[in-house]
Amino acid sequence: MSTSEALRGRRRRPLSGAGWVGWAFVLPGVVGLVVFVIAPMIASLALGFFNATLLGGTTFSGLENFTRMFRDQQFLTSLRVTTIFVLLYTPLNIALSFAMALWLRTRLAGRAGLRVLFLIPALSPMVANAAVFRLILQEDGAINSILALIGLGPVPWLSDGKWALTAIILVSLWQSFGYNMIILGAGLDSINPDVIAASRLDGAGTIRRLFSVTLPLTSPALFFSTVLTVIGAWQTFAQAYVITGGGPGNSTMTIMLYLYRSAFTFQELGYASAIAGVLFLIIAIFTLGQIWGQKRWVHYDY
Amino acid sequence: MTTRAAHADIRRATGRTPRRRWSRALGLTANSALAWFVGVVFAFPLIWTFFTALKPSSEVFGQSIEFIGSEVLWSNFATAWAEVRFGRLLLNSLVVAVVSTVLTVLIATITGYAFSRLRFRGRNSLFVLFVITLTLPTEVAVIPLFLGFDAVGLTDTWTALILPGLFGAFGAFLLRQFMLQIPFELEEAARIDGASRWRILTGIIIPLVRPAMSVLAIFAFLGSWNGFLWPLIILNSAEKWTIPIGIAGFSTMTGTRWELLMAACVLTIIPVVILVVVAQRQLVAAIGAGAFGGR
Repeated sequence: MSTSEALRGRRRRPLSGAGWVGWAFVLPGVVGLVVFVIAPMIASLALGFFNATLLGGTTFSGLENFTRMFRDQQFLTSLRVTTIFVLLYTPLNIALSFAMALWLRTRLAGRAGLRVLFLIPALSPMVANAAVFRLILQEDGAINSILALIGLGPVPWLSDGKWALTAIILVSLWQSFGYNMIILGAGLDSINPDVIAASRLDGAGTIRRLFSVTLPLTSPALFFSTVLTVIGAWQTFAQAYVITGGGPGNSTMTIMLYLYRSAFTFQELGYASAIAGVLFLIIAIFTLGQIWGQKRWVHYDY
Repeated sequence: MTTRAAHADIRRATGRTPRRRWSRALGLTANSALAWFVGVVFAFPLIWTFFTALKPSSEVFGQSIEFIGSEVLWSNFATAWAEVRFGRLLLNSLVVAVVSTVLTVLIATITGYAFSRLRFRGRNSLFVLFVITLTLPTEVAVIPLFLGFDAVGLTDTWTALILPGLFGAFGAFLLRQFMLQIPFELEEAARIDGASRWRILTGIIIPLVRPAMSVLAIFAFLGSWNGFLWPLIILNSAEKWTIPIGIAGFSTMTGTRWELLMAACVLTIIPVVILVVVAQRQLVAAIGAGAFGGR
């Protein structure tokens, strides 16, 4: 053994000795992540280039699934519906969450109780929440009864396309805003009170303080919750599945619901995987776009 | 000067000292009342669900808002238990959730320990891989997952239902962050005494990160309890269904018996409410820290 090899061996020993133990500890988690998370994701992208059915075989079909997608009116509708959903739901969710987080910081009796109340639907089964709304959104359901008390309605929540999509957005907001409210509340808690006090001394009013001090200082939390809300919104499924079944006339057919139908009702797994690939791409573009765009408005250094 | 005193000074300097106590009290009362009014409106769907579950079938829909029907039928819960086969669903959901929770926490603890305490080649690149998966939309991968389990003949089994959910990177990530805060000296001392890594993990690290483990356990439990898309895909036979699949099936049936469906929803949401109320402090802290991503 040459001196240099011996030296290398000695230098490596402390690392490689602990290295085996380290790998042994990390192995179950890594294998699981690769087998059940990463590999299926890659396979999903690859499967889009095949014609795959449950019973029949799998044959390579090139770009056929993708070209078909852009001729498929139902897919194009689901793309439009989901885009509208994401673009309306995300800003409404963030604005509502932020407003409620601010409100719960004012002098208020029973703040903790309210916080838990708003959080409960976000941690309850989406399906149960959706079933509840399926009942109260019926034409003769409780929401229309209440609207009638103030002389409004009846609103055709589930029988008119525009109202049905509105209903899905409202249900999703009701279900989820409490979660972002907690994240943004923690962001507000982390603001150094001296900074707020200083802006007061400088004579900044409430509105000015909100836009020039509080919002920039909460921007990391706003960024975090926006990114994750967008990712979740593109994958909306249970609300549409239970409340409207995608109807009436595909007006609430989300991409995820159409993907599910294509794969498991129509048994077209290759085509559904191509849809999954496109959805993945859309989410990746939105996420990377936000990460790129954060330079303009997110401040980490205060 | 303390920060609090400084703030009091600033309030005085900016003329914000409230002159009259009662105006402050009035503001507090009005603000609280308004917030709680919003809270009640927010909770209305859940309250309505509970009262609907107690109504006779013919009175579920009405011209006006009536919380109490002509009779209060607690027996609806028993009927739902039988008709929706809720007992079976509940047992299935409980078994699946408990097994998922135990395994998730176990795997996340071991993985988190390796990432926080052990040195091995490739650790940093592996950790980056874990972090990247945190932002990936994992649900788009359900079709290959289904085909994979189909290929090995495991569709319609709880094994296939449980396995994919065990390896989310959030748990390992969360526990790693907590373990990094434990002083290394504790571990060094045990090393000198000849303790193995496994002994150190079980004897020193785990007792210290137990709070983080219990938060992870609650999230793993809720994740399994609430899970919908994957069980819908992988489970066929009704005797293996979890609660959400049973409720969705019953809900989309023609001629829904709403009062029974609502009774089932009440029974499904109540365990969540109890869990969230009991563990609110830890849950709010963990969600606020971004430990479990978003919704």
